[in-house]
Amino acid sequence: MGKIIVADNIVKSFGVGRERRNVLDGVSVDIDEGEFVAIMGPSGSGKTTLLFALSGMDTVDAGSVVFDGVELSRLSDDALADVRRRKMGFVFQQPTLLRNLNVLDNIILPSVRDGRKDAGRISEKARALMKMTGIEELETRGVSQASGGQLQRVGICRALMGDPKVIFGDEPTGALNSTSANEIMALLADVHHTGTTMVLVTHDVRVATKAERVLFIFDGKIAGAHVAGRCDASREDLRAREGALVGWLTEKGF
Amino acid sequence: MVFRAVRNDVLRSKAITLITTLFVAAATMLVALAAVLVVNLAGAIDTMMTRAKTPHFMQMHAGDLDRARLAAFVRQNEDVAEFQVLEFLNLDGSQFVFGGGSLAGSVQDNGLSVQSERFDFLLDLDGNVIHAADGHIYVPITYVQDGTARVGDTVSVAGMPMAIAGPLRDSQMQPLLSSSKRFLVSSNDFAALERFGSVEYLIEFRLHDLAALGAFGTAYVAAGLEANGPTITYPFFRVINGLSDGLMIAVILLISVLVIAIAFSCIRFTLLAKIEDDYREIGVMKAIGMRVSDIKRIYLAKYAAIAAVGSLVGYGLSFFLQEPLLANIRLYMGESEGASLAPVLGLIGVVLVFLAISAFVHAALGRFHRIPAAEAIRFGASQEAPSASRRFRLSANHRLGANTFLGLKDVLVRRKLFSTMLVVLVLTAFIIIMPRSLHNTIASKSFITYMGVGDIDLRIDVQQTDGISAKTAEIAASLERDGAVSRFVVLTTKALEALSSDGSKVRIVVELGDHSVFPLTYSAGRAPTTDHDIALSALSAAELGKKVGDVVPVMVEGQARDLTVSGIYSDVTNGGKTAKAALADDGADTMWSAVGVELSDATLVGEKAREYASRFSFAKVSSMDDFVAQTYGPTISAVGTASFASTGVALIITALITLLFMRMLIAKDRTTIAVLKSIGFTNADIKTQYVVRSVSVLALGVLLGTVLANTLGESLAGAVIAMFGATSFAFVVNPLEAYLIAPALMALSVLLASVFGTLDAGKIQVSESIRE
Ligand SMILES: Nc1ncnc2c1ncn2[C@@H]1O[C@H](COP(=O)(O)OP(=O)(O)O)[C@@H](O)[C@H]1O
Ligand SMILES: [Mg+2]
Repeated sequence: MGKIIVADNIVKSFGVGRERRNVLDGVSVDIDEGEFVAIMGPSGSGKTTLLFALSGMDTVDAGSVVFDGVELSRLSDDALADVRRRKMGFVFQQPTLLRNLNVLDNIILPSVRDGRKDAGRISEKARALMKMTGIEELETRGVSQASGGQLQRVGICRALMGDPKVIFGDEPTGALNSTSANEIMALLADVHHTGTTMVLVTHDVRVATKAERVLFIFDGKIAGAHVAGRCDASREDLRAREGALVGWLTEKGF
Repeated sequence: MVFRAVRNDVLRSKAITLITTLFVAAATMLVALAAVLVVNLAGAIDTMMTRAKTPHFMQMHAGDLDRARLAAFVRQNEDVAEFQVLEFLNLDGSQFVFGGGSLAGSVQDNGLSVQSERFDFLLDLDGNVIHAADGHIYVPITYVQDGTARVGDTVSVAGMPMAIAGPLRDSQMQPLLSSSKRFLVSSNDFAALERFGSVEYLIEFRLHDLAALGAFGTAYVAAGLEANGPTITYPFFRVINGLSDGLMIAVILLISVLVIAIAFSCIRFTLLAKIEDDYREIGVMKAIGMRVSDIKRIYLAKYAAIAAVGSLVGYGLSFFLQEPLLANIRLYMGESEGASLAPVLGLIGVVLVFLAISAFVHAALGRFHRIPAAEAIRFGASQEAPSASRRFRLSANHRLGANTFLGLKDVLVRRKLFSTMLVVLVLTAFIIIMPRSLHNTIASKSFITYMGVGDIDLRIDVQQTDGISAKTAEIAASLERDGAVSRFVVLTTKALEALSSDGSKVRIVVELGDHSVFPLTYSAGRAPTTDHDIALSALSAAELGKKVGDVVPVMVEGQARDLTVSGIYSDVTNGGKTAKAALADDGADTMWSAVGVELSDATLVGEKAREYASRFSFAKVSSMDDFVAQTYGPTISAVGTASFASTGVALIITALITLLFMRMLIAKDRTTIAVLKSIGFTNADIKTQYVVRSVSVLALGVLLGTVLANTLGESLAGAVIAMFGATSFAFVVNPLEAYLIAPALMALSVLLASVFGTLDAGKIQVSESIRE
């Protein structure tokens, strides 16, 4: 299996003068196509910064990120936007939807950007995704009329519209109650099973349990990786994986 | 606390605060200027007319004069305070030869006068009565201003060289609209030159009480005294003295109204945007029990500060700018005695602007009270999603691109915000189109038909000579033979007596002949066709108390004849009280006659004018183009310059406001832009979306502005032109200018401003705006 993301010794710093410090301090990560990687670590350790670096959403100060065979720092703003639209999907903690648009329009927005030729097919696909995520009745509702869990599903639908190679998530269940969080997680796991690469930043052990590999980041460095392998979704397997992960995290002092 | 909050807010939005202050300053400056100019103009005219002792009633008369009969009339009329007869020696323009050329091409009746002894004085630039020495001549200030005459040079008057001793102010014949110009010479020189021209008499009266003017006029007519020429009264002198500067003031007032509206739009836009931004915060403050009036006070303080600074700066600027604008008034009319009042009046205007802004902000902030705390906290934004825009859906729309859709949708959703930008664009479109159309209208060939003159190529006047009828017939005969003449009409002017509605006798100057050949534009009704028709000028109609369809009894051939008013037209010539009829009255004396000529080839005008002028030396031949150029030319070119200036100003305003609005929107929309970028929209996409916003608002703005300019603008321009006596008119719109060039220029400035205003959108980093 090929590598979808190869990050080599990336450095990213914020602040000026004396205040300046490396938030990412020589991070190297390889992610396989179809892999499910979770990124964990204490607050302020640089998880979001790493996610933005891997997805080309932010530039790096040193090192390189190769995404699907292309070095991101070589790309123009526009080419980056194209990559983002065609190969990546994002799910954030807070739903980043446009208030002006209703639910369906929010979902089809990025796909429509590339032309209206198959507008019919686009809407069909969006409806299918809404059905799959259980929000088909929201179609014409305004964004402000949906709950947090529903909005997160809308965000997932939007991320899936372009059949992305990689889904990046930054604490996608962080703002939800545990029932909603479980449902969203199950959804993302299903997406992973269709072959989509997953890179999720999370605080939630139960989310990370489903990952094939968990990276622990501390103070801008990768402080360890926990390889759990493919998850077969049986209750016993899950409990065993969770136990192993918690043990490893405790070892890391988390 | 309030001070610190205001300071922080100002610092955070420097550009916006600055531009708003600028517009407030511009608005107050213009209001103050208009006030100062009005006071000075009115004061200067009064001062000049008081010093010159302008006649209250003046009858011009060509022909024999019975001084004894006039003196007898004055003796038994109790209204008369002073009375005199002045002589005006009419000379042909070619008799005045200056270093640079003669007055042969002048459409004015140029002539000589001596200083009068009792009143109607000719003044020097200090407002003193001039006494001309032998060999000295004083020239109307207009000729010094336009470079025709230079003080110190010599002018040859009918072959006699005279030294130009200085310019003179003439309180009654100075404006270009008045068709005669008086030069002042000593009585010896006057006597020496008398044989070169024809003398016209100015029979002048000053009354004890100006209110008796109407009664006096009636008495003068009833006495059957000398009346071969127009009658002009004090109020009319006042009006024509104030016309050209009055026009300038009207334009300044108009522009100041627009600038105030723009300043208000700026304030409204920033306030709305601010309220949208602070929505959640205001909700929270309400929720924890803070009083809305506390929040309001902060904003009120900010705008009070802006209004105060802007007003003071504007008032200060008005002092610098008023000097050049007052220069013209000072030159032609002199100092105004009530001028010290002007700054006070200006200050009152400034205070009014300040109060209006405060009241406006107060009203706009009323919105705060309506923010429901719960909703504000839950959604952080106003929930008034307009139902109409909800049906405008991306999924239901298969033609628009995503960027166009997003731009349009936002305009629909936030239409309150965008409506303020719309108002500005409507106003600027108005400021561009209206003055251009006004200029095109008064510069157009047909405009003259609104002013009591038909659309002709040449005009041949026969006046102040004996045997007018015979001489006119001679001209008509040769026009008949001239192959280059396609049409001509002879109009004979006579003074007839009419009975007004209240039964008094009024003398009106009636132009007799076929008025259908070169028709005027009538503000009501039509040209007279039968010998029982009469058309009245607006002033005559007012004096007689008649409207179209009414009957006016007029003395024709010694008998009262009931004439029906067929139409009403505008006229500022000959005192404005004129009439036109198709009847014949061989009994009445002919005051003058005029022949209107149309040539088959209009380019021959100059040649033909020279030909007829040399063939008939007793007649005054003028090309209509020269007449228009000399009478209205300065006004037309002033309006032309003003229209270009206002186009420039409007384009700058358009660009500034668009830039400002775009920058504010980008700042407000940071998160949305970051979201769009995160899902793969490029910088160019986002720029396109903002250009769509501004261009769609622009398109609507230009459309409304054009409609408004052609409706409201037409009436406003009508009010201005009414000062010249034209009571009704239709805009002449140059479609290329109004519908293509003006919108294209506005589009260009909006586009440029949008592109520059949205440069910041490219700098928004997704990673900074979406961060958990
Ligand atoms: N744009 C920025 N400017 C300055 N500091 C930043 C910026 N973004 C992140 N940081 C700092 O970098 C560190 C890591 O941030 P982040 O990657 O968001 O941590 P987390 O692991 O909680 O996601 C934090 O200390 C944060 O304050
Ligand atoms: Mg984070």
